[in-house]
Amino acid sequence: MSHSLTPPKLSRRTLLKLLGYGAAGATLAACAPPATPAPTAAPAAATPVPEGEIVIWDRSGDLFQVFDATIASFNKKYPKITVRHEAVDINAKLATTLAAGVDVPDGTFIEDVNIPTLADYFTDITDWIQPYTQAIVPFKLRVNTVAGRVIGIPFDIDPALLYYRQDLLEQAGVDPAAIATYDDLITAAQTIQAKLGADRKPIHIERAAWAIPLQLEMFANQQGASLVNEKGELQLDGEPYRRALTWVKNVLDSGVGSVQEYFSPGDIQAIDTDQVAFYPWAIWFVYGPENLFKESKGQWRAMPLPAWTAGGARGANMGGSSFAIPKQGKNKNPQLAWLFYEHLMLSPEGYKAVYGPNQIYPGGLSTSLPAYTPAHAEKLFENPKGLGDQNLWEMAVSTVKDIPANYFYAPWYGQAAEIIAANVQRMQDGQVTPDEAIAASAADITTRIINR
Amino acid sequence: MTALPARPSLGALRRWLGGSFAPYVFIAPFFLLFVAFGLFPLLYALALSFTDWRGVRAPELIGFSNYIFLLTDQAFWESLGNSLYLWLLIVPVQTLFAVLVASLLARPFLRFRWFFRTAYLISYLVPLVAIAQVWKVLFDQDFGALNFALQAAGLSAIGWLTTPAWAKPTLALLVFWKSSGFAILIMLAAIQGIPRELYEAAALDGADGRQQFWQITLPLMRRAIAFYAVIATLAVIQMFAEPYVLTQGGPYMSTTTAGYALNQYMKYLDLGTGAANSFLLTLLVVAVSGIMLRLLRARDED
Repeated sequence: MSHSLTPPKLSRRTLLKLLGYGAAGATLAACAPPATPAPTAAPAAATPVPEGEIVIWDRSGDLFQVFDATIASFNKKYPKITVRHEAVDINAKLATTLAAGVDVPDGTFIEDVNIPTLADYFTDITDWIQPYTQAIVPFKLRVNTVAGRVIGIPFDIDPALLYYRQDLLEQAGVDPAAIATYDDLITAAQTIQAKLGADRKPIHIERAAWAIPLQLEMFANQQGASLVNEKGELQLDGEPYRRALTWVKNVLDSGVGSVQEYFSPGDIQAIDTDQVAFYPWAIWFVYGPENLFKESKGQWRAMPLPAWTAGGARGANMGGSSFAIPKQGKNKNPQLAWLFYEHLMLSPEGYKAVYGPNQIYPGGLSTSLPAYTPAHAEKLFENPKGLGDQNLWEMAVSTVKDIPANYFYAPWYGQAAEIIAANVQRMQDGQVTPDEAIAASAADITTRIINR
Repeated sequence: MTALPARPSLGALRRWLGGSFAPYVFIAPFFLLFVAFGLFPLLYALALSFTDWRGVRAPELIGFSNYIFLLTDQAFWESLGNSLYLWLLIVPVQTLFAVLVASLLARPFLRFRWFFRTAYLISYLVPLVAIAQVWKVLFDQDFGALNFALQAAGLSAIGWLTTPAWAKPTLALLVFWKSSGFAILIMLAAIQGIPRELYEAAALDGADGRQQFWQITLPLMRRAIAFYAVIATLAVIQMFAEPYVLTQGGPYMSTTTAGYALNQYMKYLDLGTGAANSFLLTLLVVAVSGIMLRLLRARDED
């Protein structure tokens, strides 16, 4: 798949404006922590005040409210930029709006998985973001890069962790520090079952069609793999996926797996009746202990994922979102949209407003981490009560350096994910082996999607 | 110098239109809206169905490839099979059920009949997402109330939502529960439209309640029954929301209906294939509706 990604043409007026913005950015950078890279500076005397209107789309719901609350700090910095902030069902509306080319926003929230599909519509921001790239988590910079050009402004990363029930492990005499590999995890689950009762199914195994591929990709990412390689070639029939599915099969064959859909009523029931003790998932699992679980609230803890082989990587990412600047933005103000996102994600005022305590999340936004590493220097959200006041920030940040960067989303990821989910469900039900599930999925993806 | 051709006068146009512009002006808004929001999108989608278009770059004309792909794709036929299976589970039983319940609710001497009429409609008014959550609680394999009752009776637990064999009936039950209120409403309206004199005359002739039902109520409800059967059939073919909230088309795509499969193409921006899929479904819907309406007309002519 080829992409015609060229940097936006700059008029003399635009260039002057950008130089001016750079000067303003440089002034702010002086107040930032030392790790923050300084944007390109320009003589302050030539500074024109950035001015204009931008329309920004964000996913409706809590995140919209969080981002909405940051506009005040942006306007403090850029008083003459009017932000029209709109809550939108991004998944339903963005692609069609971009295709129609009418009323296109100047900036938009986008899930990382959709970036390759819509890449042609977005402004190449490689030159603008260049001063910051060294400080962005490599995984995140990779998924925002298409055909060698950066087209997305990273929002968050979602480190995968092993959530566990501290009280159940204690009762069973299992030391979480001793769980170094996924095989150790099965052994620990068997110990819990032996000590606490045969009805315990300590390891959560995902069943929902939307979440199976997400978790499988997390297992693959931990091993430095993804569904496709940089050339877009399918990598499913490889050792990382075989190893991950074989482990799932072993968990089920050992009778220690709780097969449930993520946070479905059955899943929550299994959790609150002490059946589940381990939940390998993205950081956003914390929403459960914080808001959904009644009986087990406060008993959950997080630790790094086990490794696939002794001494192997224990970091991975699961999901994530970014921002993009459509080329057809209605106000033709890509530079102003860039300033907005630069403020939001790449300046201390912005990321502190997003992740720190706010009206929507009094304890801060604890379901992900900023993708910009200088933001990791200082704890932004409070210790979650659902995790017994554990320092989740520190735990999650400690795994970021281990997240393999070599990750590629295919433009047809969504369609392939449906096929993979169906075959993994068959495997969970004992109808096929891991090898057969992989072979059937690879064959179907090849014939029905890639080679069509 | 050449003479200019004579322009048709406004008067001639008015005469040709029947003597007045007014009727056309009055109906013009509908036709303008229909062309803008009905006909044009339809023709646009038809054109799209012959292209490969992922929402970016210009659509590429590929002839009948999308149609050939779908008609030779096992998943497409499986989705139609799933819809047919669900139709068999839902429409005949629900139609019969609605007729019976409506005929009971129409009885003037039924006590609390306003309560019952309201109660039956409530299921139709409850949001689908809320019902789906209740279904998940009731039918969960490990913690569901239904399996709890089965196990208390010494029976094995059933994978209501996790096995292909049971997921379809469980989904059908949700649709049945959700839409039966609407079906009953239609049947009740039809029954109340039957003149009371017919029943009084039949009673004078010695017909009992059962005979009145078979000889008066049912024949005079035929149009309502046919109407409901047609719209219920179309609803099953297009069904998307119910499998989306309850099973997400699983397990192993066993509850992926024709409407759900179509939505997947749209969701993943395979818009050319999606458009072709929608036209194949349109043909199916037109054919099924035509057959059902023809059956109705044949009966009316009898």
